[in-house]
Parts: sequence; C-alpha cells; structure tokens
Amino acid sequence: MVKLRKRKLPEAEIPTSSMADISFLLLLFFLASTVIDVDTGIGLVLPEYIPPGQQELVPISKDRLAAVLINENGDVLLNNEVIAIPQISKILKPRIESKIDLPANKKLVVSIKTDRKTNYNLYIQALDQIKEAYFQVREEYARKRFGKRLIDIDERSEEMKEIKEKIPITISIAEPEIVKK
Amino acid sequence: MKFQKKRAAVKQQIPTASLPDIVFMLLLFFMVTTTLREVDVLVKFKLPEAKAIEKIENKRLISYIWVGNDGRIQLNDSITKLEEIQKIMYAKRVALPNVIVSLRIDKNSDMGIVTDIQQELRKASCLRINYSAMLKI
Repeated sequence: MVKLRKRKLPEAEIPTSSMADISFLLLLFFLASTVIDVDTGIGLVLPEYIPPGQQELVPISKDRLAAVLINENGDVLLNNEVIAIPQISKILKPRIESKIDLPANKKLVVSIKTDRKTNYNLYIQALDQIKEAYFQVREEYARKRFGKRLIDIDERSEEMKEIKEKIPITISIAEPEIVKK
Repeated sequence: MKFQKKRAAVKQQIPTASLPDIVFMLLLFFMVTTTLREVDVLVKFKLPEAKAIEKIENKRLISYIWVGNDGRIQLNDSITKLEEIQKIMYAKRVALPNVIVSLRIDKNSDMGIVTDIQQELRKASCLRINYSAMLKI
C-alpha cells in the first residue's frame, strides 16, 4: 500500500517589508502639509460699534485714566509727559497696584491713541508694555495672596476669578478721529 | 575529520515587524494634533515682537487677516478690499459666534490701515481680536 502523505503547503505570507516605507511616506506628507506653530499674540476685545450720532461721552476722572498717545514720529505722551516706550510699564505699575482694593468702577483705564501715520510696531510695543505692567501686578498679587505663580493657577478656578476681579485689564482704544478725505 | 565552526543557532536579525505600527502611531498622533494648512499666504509680512503674549488654544476659532508690507489685505485666500471685510467677517461671525480674528500685520505698516480694519471689524461685530506677535527674547 502506498503511503499517502499530506503534502505540506508552503507558508503563505504577505510581504510586509515595504509597509514601514509606505507609512513613513504618509507621515512625511502629513508633516509637510500641516502647521504646528501655535498662534501667539496680544489679545484684545474691541468695543461695540456705535454710529457716531449715538455715541455718549462718559466722563472719566483724571486719576483713573492713563492716556497713552503716540504720534507719527514715535514720541510717547503719558498723561502729558513725554516718555520713552520702555518706561510705560514702570509708570503704570504703581498706579495699577494702588487701585487693587478699590471697587470696579474706580480701576485704572488705560487709553491708547495713535496717529494714522504711527508705525504699527511702536503701537504693539506700547500695548506690550501695558500688558506687561498688568501681568506683573497680577503675578505679584498671585504670589502674595495664594503663594502660587500665575501660570500655575487654573484658568477656571476661583483664584483666577479673584485675580481678574481685582486686577481687570481695561485697555481702551480711542475712537479714531474722522479724517477729511 | 572535518572541523566545523560553531555558530549560534539564533537568527541575527532585528525584528522589524512592529516598525509600521510604530510609524502609524506617529502618523495618527500628528493627524490628531495638527490642523491642515488651509491657505496660501499671498502677502509678505514680518510680525512684530512682544513680551507679554498669550497663546490661542483653540485653532479652529481663529480667522486670519493678513496685511502685507505693501499694504494689501488678505482675507481667506485672496486679496480683499477694505470695504469687503465687513460683509465677509459678518458671515464668518454668524457661522462661528465666538470667532477670534488674528491680525497678522507687517510691523512696518501704518496705524491707519490697522484702525480701518478695526473699525470694519467692529461694524461686523467681530470683537475678539489678537495682534499676532512673535516672542521677544
């Protein structure tokens, strides 16, 4: 009798050596076509638009207001004193600090006004200085009151709420003057 | 008698079977964490530098306006006239109520154009803006 023997089948395999190469290609495509950079910048909330006829003038007492004026030559005027841009935060800081414990309607309002010909970079530098002053005051307050650094405090926590209530950032952009064309 | 060199019976190979899986994981990570490049920027601009800057966490809320060094304004993926900003931005705001407008303005621009854009944005009631700036070291 002939011995029947099952023939051994060769192992079926899909070649997977190129799989890695293909996935690398895909990865490279995604790396090249996406943006990773985070968007950074100075945030601001504009006031609502009110047509010129309906605008109301709200008088603000002088000790509440810090008016920053920048003309087209880059000269900076803070409350009628000529200063340089890097000085802004130093001058504003004590004024913000002195108003921490005052009620909300007595906090400092920083108003910034420029000419049409003023350089945009100067405006950003000035805005940066104002924000810097506020951040420094907030940082010191956070350290004294909670013993924490500002970045360690959660954005939605009660502590942050208190900081925002005590030191609100109120930057006002002056209504542009109507230019004759 | 024949001498035979003794060799280890194990295969001398690095197992590469899991390599595609690893790369696919990387790929998935990148697909999840990034957004696709949406528009080609047609204007040339250099951002100003600032120290007290914040990050915008949610990229999907951002809508960009570019202003180049030649004073041209780009919105979406084409050059736009100043008067058209209000209409386009209003439509955007209706679609996405808390849109943040990121202003990518060349640092040598005049404030005139910035103020004009701001006024248009106020009319379109897109009030949350962000002056894009690089970190000053």
